[in-house]
Order: sequence, then structure tokens, then C-alpha cells
Amino acid sequence: MSHFALMTLYAASLGVFFATLWKRARRDQVRLFLKIFVSLMGGALLLGWLMYFFPSGPPKPLP
Amino acid sequence: MTERKPVEHSGRALALCLLAWMVPTAGHFALGRRGRAAVFAAVLVVSVLVGVGLDGELHRVVPGQPLSMLFTLGAMGLGAPYFALRFLLGYQGVAEAAGFEYGTVFLLSAGLMNLLLVLDVWDIATGAKD
Repeated sequence: MSHFALMTLYAASLGVFFATLWKRARRDQVRLFLKIFVSLMGGALLLGWLMYFFPSGPPKPLP
Repeated sequence: MTERKPVEHSGRALALCLLAWMVPTAGHFALGRRGRAAVFAAVLVVSVLVGVGLDGELHRVVPGQPLSMLFTLGAMGLGAPYFALRFLLGYQGVAEAAGFEYGTVFLLSAGLMNLLLVLDVWDIATGAKD
């Protein structure tokens, strides 16, 4: 699986888990799931995009 | 909707928590929350299978690394599957594997999620939550 697919699976798993754990009404569950899923995916993509401006550079030579 | 009678004896609630820890989602099944238990079981099974499939690390205490104790406690939250993977199957993960970090996160998350389920079982058993 690609990194993106794994990230999507992870975000979906956490979303389903917490929506089921914390909410009872179906409507509330769907809302919380979307909130968690979008936050995780959006946050990861945003961080990834920000890291573009801070390249790690070539690896340091071994001492 | 039928009224569910809360379990008043903390001893029984503790026993249910122990069951919920050792056998993930069994506590919810025992309390009659079967739909929720099935969803939790699906999430935990997927997390563990993906974690193991990616050769993620099943945390254990490393001398001189205090944080490894916290990680190990979190992973041990998985209950019987943790001990089965570690002691029966000898699983520990492969640090050189391409999906090692992702797998580790999936396995640790599964343990932490089960710990949250144990707390949820306590709340339901003592009547603090439906």
C-alpha cells in the first residue's frame, strides 16, 4: 500500500473508532467522523506542504 | 427502547474491565453493546493486521530508554493479542522494513484504542454512560 493509502486508512479507522465511542446518534457520528477524518488528512497534507519549504538537504557524511 | 440496568458492584465492573482488556471488545459484548463491539472489533483487527503486515514494531522495554516503558504499556493495552504475538509467535517487527514506522503506529494505536474501550466498559458498567 502507498503511504497515502495507509494515511487514509489510519484516518478512517480513527474516525470510525471515536465516532462510535463518543457519539450515539447516527447524525452526530457521521459529523464527528468527518471532522476527525478531514482534520487528520488535511493536517497531514498541510504539514507535508509546509515541509516543502524546509528541505532536509543531502545526508551528512558518516563520522 | 429498553432500560439497561447498570452494574452496581464495582467488583463486577472491574472483572468486565479485565475481560475487556484481555479480549478486546469482549467487555462491550458482555454488556450487550454488540453493534458497537462489532465496529470496534473491525477497527482493531484491521489495525493489528495492517501493523503486522507492515512489520511494525511491537514495543518492548529497552534498558536505558525510559520512553520505551510508556510505549510498551500502550502496546500492551491490546491485551491477549499482544502477548500472543510477542510470546507465542515471537513477533517483534522488522526495523528495516519499508512500512516499519506506519506499522508501529498502527500497532500502538490498536493498544491505546483498546485501553479507551476498557474505560468505556467501566463507564457503562457503573452506569455513568449508556
